[in-house]
Amino acid sequence: MIEIKHLSKSFGENQVLHQIDAAFEEGKTNLIIGQSGSGKTVLMKCVVGLFEPTEGDVLYSGRSFTQASFNEKRNIRKEIGMVFQGGALFDSMTVEENVAFPLRMFTKESRSEVMDRADLCLKRVNLPKAHKLFPSEISGGMKKRVAIARAIALNPKYLFFDEPNSGLDPRTSILIDNLIQEITQEYQTVTVINTHDMNSVMEIGDKIFYIHKGHKHWQGDRVGIWESPNKELTDFVFATRLMRDIRSKNFKL
Amino acid sequence: MNYLENFGQYCLLMFRAFRQPGRNRFFREQLVREIDSLGVGSVGIIAIISLFMGAVIAIQMAANIESPLIPMYTVGYATRESVILEFSSTVIALILAGKVGSNIASEIGTMRVSEQIDALEIMGVNSAGYLILPKITAALLIIPILTLMSMFLGVWGGFFACTLTGLLDSPTYIQGITLDFRPYHLVYSLIKSLVFAFIITSVASFRGYYVRGGSREVGQTSTRAVVNASISILLWNLILTRLLLL
Repeated sequence: MIEIKHLSKSFGENQVLHQIDAAFEEGKTNLIIGQSGSGKTVLMKCVVGLFEPTEGDVLYSGRSFTQASFNEKRNIRKEIGMVFQGGALFDSMTVEENVAFPLRMFTKESRSEVMDRADLCLKRVNLPKAHKLFPSEISGGMKKRVAIARAIALNPKYLFFDEPNSGLDPRTSILIDNLIQEITQEYQTVTVINTHDMNSVMEIGDKIFYIHKGHKHWQGDRVGIWESPNKELTDFVFATRLMRDIRSKNFKL
Repeated sequence: MNYLENFGQYCLLMFRAFRQPGRNRFFREQLVREIDSLGVGSVGIIAIISLFMGAVIAIQMAANIESPLIPMYTVGYATRESVILEFSSTVIALILAGKVGSNIASEIGTMRVSEQIDALEIMGVNSAGYLILPKITAALLIIPILTLMSMFLGVWGGFFACTLTGLLDSPTYIQGITLDFRPYHLVYSLIKSLVFAFIITSVASFRGYYVRGGSREVGQTSTRAVVNASISILLWNLILTRLLLL
């Protein structure tokens, strides 16, 4: 479990996050949703340690991350896998080398064992024939899948996804969502997804946190969203006519 | 204030780069790659520049010796001294600051803006050690060798210019280049090349590592890295010359 306690973050005079409390559970897809500029990316970067919180703490299975020493942080980070919005693949390495990178860096396995594991991870994300291609030679959806394969290579306990569906067509988005859900259940990871894709929210949102202007405004599941009286949340979720129509017809999940 | 802040940030980054370099096999692989890219990739341009600059220095020396009291072998002597003391270490360092410095700043800068450095950090990799240390080590190993090569070619560039154009005969030139040779001048020049190698790679890495924005900012950072490295080289050239020669 990952627990966030009273987390605040300011950049100079500008306070972006205000006293956020949340708990992300194992084996569940935990979604952070909110409008662009609401602070959800800053929140995720604070949780994974790319930003230092101004106040508050982040606990990984009870271990404080913000107060950890350099080596303790390094050990926690080895248990984290993250998929960035653009994939963040190493562009001078092939797909196979990208996936093998964390294994070569942190395990003492032989080269053939590493390559076998990389091959397994690539097959797991349905990319059995892209091993020798460079990131610039594959599509956006494939890049996301390679990034997922790299993130799961070391069997992480915690998985983070920053806008996993951005720039993808609806069909590929569903494939990525399903893959994330399968991996979460298969590896029993604490999965945290940062998104504003309503399809993802309705498809895989086991636990949903709504961030509005740096505050946690609402917390619940995808069923709860339909019945929530929270105006900011419903304005955000049911912003499109299609969603409003579905809601007005009293559609139930 | 901004300058002090930058300097502090630079020192912290260097501390991080030397703190935990990561796994040996990765370091070795990166080192070989950097030696190839920073060193071997610069051999051609340095060879051409050294030959031509040596030739020009020798011709200018010959053209300026008008007094019959100054022996003509002075051309070889002065060419050797100019090449060893100043040209091969400082001018080559300035050329490498442009070629290698901009390359390093744009490579690391692109990794920063495309979140590749963040990805390394999330994995628990010391990104500064992984990316910067092999570049600094490779430069410290290869730039003194390039400097020696440049000295050799510069002196022989002068030889070819003088003998092929008939300004000087070869025994006179060789008499000049062997006259009063002080090995300490070679040591002085190599010490300078080591310091300059560190400046070129560390300043460019620093600029690239902290870039913010997109491709335009990466380009601007690359230019800034070259300017900063060049000014630092000139400043340290003055300091080292004062410390080591007087």
